[in-house]
Parts: sequence; structure tokens; C-alpha cells
Amino acid sequence: MEQELQSLKQLALVDLSQVDNMDMLNELRVKYLGKKGSLTSALKGMGALSAEERPRIGQIVNDIRSELEAIIQAKSETFKQAELARKLASEKIDVTLPGRKVNIGHQHPLTVTLGRIKEIFMRMGFAIAEGPEVEQDYYNFEALNLPKDHPARDMQDSFYITEEFLMRTHTSPVQVRTMQAATPNQPIRIIAPGKVYRRDYDATHSPMFHQVEGLVIDKNISFADLKGTLELFIHEIFGKDVGVRFRPSFFPFTEPSAEVDISCVMCSGGGCRVCSGTGWLEILGAGMVHPRVLEMSNFDPDKVSGFAFGMGVERIAMLLYGIDDLRLFYENDLRFLRQF
Amino acid sequence: MQAPIEWLKEYVEFTQTPEVLAEMLTMAGIPVEGIRYLGKDIENIVTGKIIEIEKHPNATKLSICKLDVGNEVLIIVTGATNVSVGNVVPVALVGAKLPNGLEIKASELRGVMSYGMLCSTTELNIDSKLLSAKEKEGIYILSEDTTIGIDIREALGMDDVVLEFELTANRADCFSVLGLAREIAVLTGGTLKKPMIHLHETAEERAANLVKVAIEEPSLCSRFAARVLQNVKVGPSPKWLKHRLQAVGMRSINNVVDVTNYVMLEMGQPMHAYDYNLVSKHSLTVRKAQTGEKITTLDGIKRELTSDMLVIADQVQAVGIAGVMGGLATEVTSNTQNVILEAASFNGVSIRRTSKALGLRSEASGRFERGIDTVNSIRALDRAAKILEDMGACQVCPGIVDSYPSMVLPRQVSFIPQRVNAYLGTEISKSEMLEILRSLEFAIDTNSDADRVIVNVPTWRGDVQYQPDICEEIARIYGYNKIPTTTPGGNILRGGQEYTQSIVDVIKTSLTGAGLDEIISLSFTHPQVLDKLNIANDHVLSKAITVLNPITDDFPILRTTLLGGILETIVRNLSKKNDDIKIYELGAVYLPEQLPLDTLPKEPLMLCGALVGKRYELSWNQGKDIVDFYDAKGVVEVLLPGLGICDYEVTVGEHMSLHPGKTAIFMKEGKTLATVGELHPQVADAFGIQRKVYVFEVNIEVVVNCVKLLAKYETLPKFPAIHRDLAVMLPLTVAAEQVTQAILASGGPLLSDVRLFDVYVGEQVANGSKSLAFSLTYRDKTRTLTDEEIDVFYKNTVDHLEKTMEAKIRS
Repeated sequence: MEQELQSLKQLALVDLSQVDNMDMLNELRVKYLGKKGSLTSALKGMGALSAEERPRIGQIVNDIRSELEAIIQAKSETFKQAELARKLASEKIDVTLPGRKVNIGHQHPLTVTLGRIKEIFMRMGFAIAEGPEVEQDYYNFEALNLPKDHPARDMQDSFYITEEFLMRTHTSPVQVRTMQAATPNQPIRIIAPGKVYRRDYDATHSPMFHQVEGLVIDKNISFADLKGTLELFIHEIFGKDVGVRFRPSFFPFTEPSAEVDISCVMCSGGGCRVCSGTGWLEILGAGMVHPRVLEMSNFDPDKVSGFAFGMGVERIAMLLYGIDDLRLFYENDLRFLRQF
Repeated sequence: MQAPIEWLKEYVEFTQTPEVLAEMLTMAGIPVEGIRYLGKDIENIVTGKIIEIEKHPNATKLSICKLDVGNEVLIIVTGATNVSVGNVVPVALVGAKLPNGLEIKASELRGVMSYGMLCSTTELNIDSKLLSAKEKEGIYILSEDTTIGIDIREALGMDDVVLEFELTANRADCFSVLGLAREIAVLTGGTLKKPMIHLHETAEERAANLVKVAIEEPSLCSRFAARVLQNVKVGPSPKWLKHRLQAVGMRSINNVVDVTNYVMLEMGQPMHAYDYNLVSKHSLTVRKAQTGEKITTLDGIKRELTSDMLVIADQVQAVGIAGVMGGLATEVTSNTQNVILEAASFNGVSIRRTSKALGLRSEASGRFERGIDTVNSIRALDRAAKILEDMGACQVCPGIVDSYPSMVLPRQVSFIPQRVNAYLGTEISKSEMLEILRSLEFAIDTNSDADRVIVNVPTWRGDVQYQPDICEEIARIYGYNKIPTTTPGGNILRGGQEYTQSIVDVIKTSLTGAGLDEIISLSFTHPQVLDKLNIANDHVLSKAITVLNPITDDFPILRTTLLGGILETIVRNLSKKNDDIKIYELGAVYLPEQLPLDTLPKEPLMLCGALVGKRYELSWNQGKDIVDFYDAKGVVEVLLPGLGICDYEVTVGEHMSLHPGKTAIFMKEGKTLATVGELHPQVADAFGIQRKVYVFEVNIEVVVNCVKLLAKYETLPKFPAIHRDLAVMLPLTVAAEQVTQAILASGGPLLSDVRLFDVYVGEQVANGSKSLAFSLTYRDKTRTLTDEEIDVFYKNTVDHLEKTMEAKIRS
């Protein structure tokens, strides 16, 4: 019996050693270990054995079974791995093909730029104010210390609708509207972005463009505060390294007035075509609110003071993105718009 | 305003380079926009005298000149025909460089060696408006007394540097070389040397006996002063005078006119010279013009005047338009023997109106517009008379005839130094402030006390009126960039955006996510665009605001719709082969309450968008489908729920620019939220668009009023739902939304969702019919449903559809 079992084992081992696929392996499993398999049949012959022999032979059968099962298990694992490897290999794709496009649109560069400007000022506690684009002469000029026939009205040749109404030439009328809607002498801190209109149309002028106006009024507001606020803004939007200088200038609604220049972002101040060789770029007009302007809107220049500033959004966008032609903003060529 | 460095140096000594000086002035509020080096790029060109001319033996059109250029005699072959022996001309020597880049070499011309070139004014790059017609022709013939062998730049006064200013409107005083010199003196610490004027007045007759002046309009003319010059010898100006005028771009006319211009440039006082003998009764009156009165001005143009214009008139006619331009009739010419010199002060507003109305701007009108120093007029008269007297060009009659109705006194302005510092954020000492003001010739009044300073403002500084003006004077000389930087203290303000602004941001973000690009177009448009959009003449959108003075004929009105700009943008992009377009614009349209405008128009914010071309970007793994109506509708259906607007109604709509069978309206509470549709083929045609365009238009104001952000969340279901599919055959005319609403209405309380998942028209269904398939979801939040109870509701829906809309249920 024992010998029979050993030769069965030898037979099985030889068979298993020749197996090279899962199907054959399963066949052999059935052949040797299945219900009707050789080893199972061998067990059936145990009834003829003596009581002493039975456990010993039983042990031998179990050992052989374990041994064969282990071999089959190992072979099976190998075949599975090989099968998986084959499958994975067959599923290979060209990962260099472009991914499926997700269509995302683009905001206009002026919207993006304005968004950055608004965000910086909102962090400084500014509110966003708005006003009408068709404006009354009074708000656009008179209440800003620009009476009829003031020569400075020439500085901004206007689109008139009637004698009384015009397209606003700057966002400054929002200053006046804000002051007149507020409680006199109470603090104000706003920026007013929006479209403005002037009668200029060439490579460097558009009849419509965008401005951001700013107004701060409170007790003890000083020219130094104006400088600090604008310098902070400029460093936020153009970076810490950009140079800033303040030049005396003239606006009828501020006194003292200043033009604010930044060191040229193209040549870092060395002088180039963009800055006309000066190394500086004009970026902002600003000044302390003229006492007449405060008075006309019922604020008392002896109690409060303030500063105002204005900047062109196109100008800032052009410098931020290196755009050299103003007309691109309004041509709306998708090849341009999709870059932002 | 332009000022040559050498001229400035006549009044103040300084050693700074033009560049450094320009920077100092700019930083003090006197902006220098350019520095012009006269005679730049001219090298090795000298004056030479022609001593011999002979015909070229081999060329009829050439001559051979022998020239004395000081240290040698040169042979030069020239094609010039306007030269003769004795002429002094500019000679470009061998090795010379001309402004146009040409380099002169010795060369052989038809067998004769030529060692240089004779130059024309063009070759010297001299501004043609500075030259007479004769000077512009051929070789530039210099005056006979020109020294031979000197650098041409020296001979022509082209060795100077000119500062070009872009002055601000408030600094009228700097429209004079002397005014600029004053600023330079303050900035460099130099001393201002005003010209000394000692007239000899050698003529016998007193001016007062020779000329009468009168002001009829004292509100428009605050001073009119005159001097009389006799035995005037009108002729060419001396070189120094010519060169100074030319350096600042002014043409030399004759000595008398040149001197009036010179003094205007020097002192800022416009002046005029009349031929005394041609002024009727030798009387000059400042009066308003009569309507229709005519005058021929010095430029030879006959002009018709209106009654609000100020003129200078003799007893017969207007002899000048006050402050703008003199008249031709009394012009100083070579025949003139006696001259009336005028220095007046006219109202700036009046001059501005007149010069604008006539389209005639002059150096004089520009100065009057900004305001001149009335006190200075007499000095200017004296100065001009003195220069002419020194030239030996006239004898000056004793005395001045001066009509000066009310004397101008220096304005007094007071300030508190401590408040100046508070205003500027500085700690400038009072003594430093006073020093700055004194240097600018502000006089400190003796009534000042320790706290309050009173200053007498110089009469040329009409712009200084308030304490803040004093602050600016102190700050600009102290230096803006020395002022510290601080941040505003005081109250903390909330800041931030208003509601509508935030909603607009959400909308833009949503549209970006939906794949649309934002455009910004001009607010101006043309009535033809409204016509092309098929907007009827009686439609509210045809009532556009007209601009009185449009910049081009293309944009005479303000837009009443964004659609025009959107379509024009599509046209422009299609022409550039940008074939797949998904764009939107969000901005105001301008709707007048009535025309002509009597109140501010409404400026409602609108959103308009359009889709054209492929749905997806061209790619190997995405379909090449073209967008359709439902893409545009889908944009709105993403937008509105994103703003918490869900319970809107969609109906068949009408829109003049859209396809009548492909237009839908989104309504809520009777208000139109949005319109979606295919562009009407006629409108597409009118714009020249050969593609299908799908448009959506959203009324932002209505939408903003419906927005519900931060809606409460709904708890997630704990019990399973039951789903049933329902396929119905219907007449084609029944709208899907109608069926959905009918299902919702008849589905019972447990029906929680209805979704249309298939639409079929074709062979499988009867002609004139379509098949719609819906997925119905039933759910109870508190328990699990049974099929039996749902069967009842489902049956009810089926019955309802069959009864009310000729529906056949497909099984």
C-alpha cells in the first residue's frame, strides 16, 4: 500500500512538472485530488488495513495530498500572474494621445486686471462704488471744480448727448455722487471702476476705456497717506521690486496733485521704447481732494480731508501682460482673449 | 512751450546738464517732455564762400565750384542751379555725416574729382516751416556777412539744446522763458536776473498825443496799453533774434514782429504791432464785434465774426481779433514808418471761445486762455521798445498810453504751517516753508503771526488761491519723494462689493466654466446695426441715444442691445478663421426714458452670448458635432440654478432677431429672465454670417432680483425610491414641457422627479407623431414604497395623458 502511494506520488510529480497552463493544472488537480481522483481512490483501500496500519498510511496520504496541493497552488499562482501580465500587456494604450478636452472659457483681460485691482483695494477696506456712464455735466465737471469754460475741460474732449448730458469722461463723478449720498464729514473709502469715454481714436486711444477712481475721506488724511496707499497698491500689483515716484501735477479737483510713475516694467528703468527712454511709466493721477470739491458736496474742508486717485485699467493690463496695442482689447479676437 | 538752454542761461546761471535739469524741473511739476539737440547728426559741415564757378566739361547739368572754406579751397561738383560767385553756403566736407545718414566721400563725377557737397535746408534737416519759400529752394544761401569756415551749427544757431515742456494748465507763468528761469533758479539755488530796461525815448512827440486807446468791455479786457515807435526801419532781424525764434520753432518775419514774439516768449505777454499810419484816426478801441463783421487776419484768411467776439478796432473797422490774431490791413510791412505796440490783457474764457469758434489757435490765444499777468504788461511794452531801440530800428516816443480800469493787486493767502504739515504728513520747519515761498517771490506779509502766515501771492501766480495751493508749492519744491509714506488711520471701514457686483462675478465664473469667452465691445453703435437686427422703428430698442459729436460716422448712437456687438465680434472672428465661437458680453445698454434726453437714461446690465461652430474643440477623441439650440439653452440652464433660480417656466417665445420656431423664453413671476434662440436667418444674412448662430440673452437685473444664494440643504433620502419608465406617443405639436408638467400634475404626492431621456421621431412612430420616454422617480422620505401603491399613481398618469393630450402609451 505504502509503495503504491509512493509511486502514485512520483507519477503525480512527473505530471505536474510537465504542466504549462491552468487548464492542464486543473485537470491534474481533478485527476489526483478530485473526488474520483487517484489519491482519493487510494484512501478507499484503507478499509482493508489493520488498525495499527491505518493511521500511519492515513498520515502518508495526507502528507502526499498537502505536498501536491502546495505544488498546484504555487503553479496556479504563477499561471495567474502570467495571465494577468498578458492581459495588462494586451491593454496597453498610447498615453501620449491628448486627453479629452474640457472646455473652459476665459474672462476678458480687462476683467481679470480689474479683478486684481478690486481685490487689492478691498483688502484695504475699500468698497466698490458705481455710477452712470451717461452723466450730467454737473457731476462730470462742475462739482469737480471744472466750471463751464474751464480750460482743463479741453484736456478731456467729451462726447455730448445734449448740453446737459454727456458720456462721462472719467470715473470721478462717482466721487461726487458718493459724497453727496453720504452723511457729510463721515469717512469714505471707495474705488469706482467703470467705462469712460473721450473723443480720441487712434493706435493709443480708444473712445471708450476703463478707469478706476479712488476716494478716501476722513479726519487727518494726509498726502503721506495717499503716497502710502498707492505705493502699497503698486507693489501688490506690479511686485515689490518696482520703483515708484510721485511727480507734482495738476488736476482741477485735487490740490496738491501728483502723477505717479513706476519704474518701467519692460526695461526695469534702463530706458526703452515703452517708456520713451525715460525709465518711468505714468500709471496714476492722484491728489488731495480740492477744498472746493469737498465744499460743493457738503463736506467741511476744515474738519476732514481726503485724497483721490484715478488709473486706466487698459494701461495697467498692457503693462502686466506686455500688450502693445490698445485696440486688441476691443477687437475681441478669440486668439487674443483665450490667452487670459 | 520750448526753451533753449542758452536763452535760459541769460537769466540764471546753472551748471546742470540738460538731462539733469529736465529731471529737476519734471520732479517739481514743470514737466519736460523732450530734450532736443539742435543740429544733431550734423558733423563736418562748414560755411564756405563760392569763389569761382565753371561749367563741367563733360556734363551740361553739372558745374564745378571752387570754395573758400577758411583754411583751404575745395573743388566741388554740384548740380545746383541757384548758386553764384560770392554766395556763402553750407559745405559738407569729406567725412561729413548728414542727418539723413549720408556720408560724404571724395568722388569722381564725370571725370572731375569732387571734395564735398553743397547742402540744401532739407539735407541739414531744418524744419521747413521756419523757412521762406526762397530758402527752401536748392542750395541754402546764407547771409553774406556769415563768417567763412565756421561750423554750420554755429552759423545757424543750431548749437543749442532746447527743452520741450508739456506744462500743466495751472502754470501760466511758465509759458515764458523768464518764468521757467525763475523755477530753475529756485531749484538750483541760483539767482534770477531779470532783464534791465532803460529806455531812451528819443522821439519828440509823447505817445499820449499820438494814439488813443479805449476799452468798451472792461469785463473782457482788464488792460490795454500801447507805445508808439517812430522812424521805424523794418527789415530782417539780427541773427541772434532769428536763431532764438527758430530754435523754438518760430519763423522770423521782420525785426518788429520778431521782437513782439520774442518778448512774448521771454515774458509771457502776447503783443501786437500795428502800422500806425494805417490805423484810422490812430485810435484803438476794444469792443465786441458786430454780427457778421468781417476781418482778414494776418494769415490772409477772411473771417466772419459774431457778436460775442472781442475785437480791436480803429475808427473804421476791426483791425484785430483780440488776443487771437491781428488784422492784415494794419500789418507791419517794409513800408511801415511808425508803429503802435500793444500789450493787453484779455479775459481767458472769451479768448478761448473765440479761438475755438474760429478754429484759430495762436501762441497769443493759448497764453490768454491760461491767464497772463496784467501787472507785467507795461514791462513787456518797455522791453520790446528797448530791444528795437537798441537795434537802432526806431525812435521810441515818450510815455505809455494805458487803459487800466481796475488795478490788479497781489492776492493774499494765509496758511498755518502746522496744518500744512498735517495735510502733507511732513515735519517741515516753518522757516523752511517761508524760504521756499520767498524763493518763488511770494512776499511774507507783516501781519503774519507765529501760527498764521499771510503771503502776498505774485501776480503771475493766479493759480495759488487756497492753503492747499500753498501746500503744493511747499511740497513740490521740498520734493514729493521726500514726503513719508503712511497708511490712512482713523475708522476701519467694511469695504467689499455690492450685491449685484458679487452676482455678476458669480455669473462670469459660471460662464467661464461653461466654456464661454468674455468679450468687451464699444458702447457705441450705428442705427444700421439695429436695422440689421430687425428691430422695428416703433420698438423700444430702436429709441437709441444719439451722440451730438460722434468721433466717426460709424458710431453715432449708444447701444440698446448687446446682440449687435456679439454678432460683429462673430463676423470679425469668422473672417480670421476662428470658426468655433462661444462668447458672451456682460454690460450696460442705454435706454432713454424719452428723447431728446431730459433725465439720465436707464443703464440696465444685460448678458448676451452666442455659440457658433463645433461643440467641442477639434480633437481625436471628441465628436465633431455642431452646436445647436440646446447648447445655448443649456448655458442658461446651468447659469440660473447656479444662482439658486430653479422654479422658472420655459415657453415658446418671440424675438425679432431670432428664428420664430426656435426661440424659448425663461420666465419667472411674469418677468423674462432670459431668451434663447437661433439667430433669424435674415439677421444672419444681414450681418453676412453663413453659419448657424445660437444666441442667449439674460436680463441681469431681473435675475439678480430672483437670486437665492445659500438655500437650505435637503436631507439625503434614507429609503429607496421606485423608478418607472413611461414611453408615450404624441402629436408632434405637443411640447415636451407640457407633457412633463402633465406628468408632474397627475403623478401624485410621491412623484419626486421626472426626466425626459429619449425623444424619437421617425419610422418607428406614425407620421406626425413623436415618442417621448420619461423616467419617473417615486419616493417617500419616511418609508419604503411598495410596487402596488405606485401602480395606482402610474396608472393615473397614463390615463391623464391619454385623456388630455392624445397620448398613446408604448409598451
